[in-house]
Amino acid sequence: MNPDRPVFLDLARIRFPVGAVASIGHRISGVLLALVLPFAVWFLQLSLRSDSISIETGGFFRLAALLLAWAGAHHLFAGVRHLLMDVGIGASLPAARASAYAVLIAAAAVGLAAFFL
Amino acid sequence: MRIFSGQQAFVLQRLSALVLLAFTAAAALRLGFGAPVSLEQWQAWAAQPAAAALLLLLAAALLVHAWVGTRDVVLDYVHPLLLRLSILSLVGVALALLGAWTAFVLVTHAL
Repeated sequence: MNPDRPVFLDLARIRFPVGAVASIGHRISGVLLALVLPFAVWFLQLSLRSDSISIETGGFFRLAALLLAWAGAHHLFAGVRHLLMDVGIGASLPAARASAYAVLIAAAAVGLAAFFL
Repeated sequence: MRIFSGQQAFVLQRLSALVLLAFTAAAALRLGFGAPVSLEQWQAWAAQPAAAALLLLLAAALLVHAWVGTRDVVLDYVHPLLLRLSILSLVGVALALLGAWTAFVLVTHAL
């Protein structure tokens, strides 16, 4: 790489196309889901070995539910979008931009639903 | 790290994604539209050998998917070789331990 090449990294002025936002969201949600895997296995163990399970409803748990529901939904929707593009569906730029908006909005809706329900 | 790299990683990521998608869809349909599932019903279902095998397949797909994904992220953002290898080793060992723990929980429950 040429060390003298121009570098423009003014984050406040770089425009992120909606596809890039959906893409980085896919990564962030994926890392988040990977990080909670130990809790998932722990919960599996609890669910198979306990006589009863009570769900916490405090503020912290609502925020955790929002974050996890958003991460799961975003990763799922963005993943389906990628799989469809792999087989050539929705790979044109206008379709890809439209589906990226759909993924962002649907995942946010699932997250909010998890917070309020 | 050459555990699932190149095209193999690409294919495994998508195959495991399809398995996870099928499980998610089935679980969403069952919980969303079927009769409510009690804890006892869930435990009885998971104790069947065929169900335990399905859950093991789900766990395997989840761990393979997590490995390929975290590996992609680490290779993109962590460049110093020693740090990269350390993180990848840590993730690999953690996922392997989680897999062993899951298999232990599922198998002992089914036996």
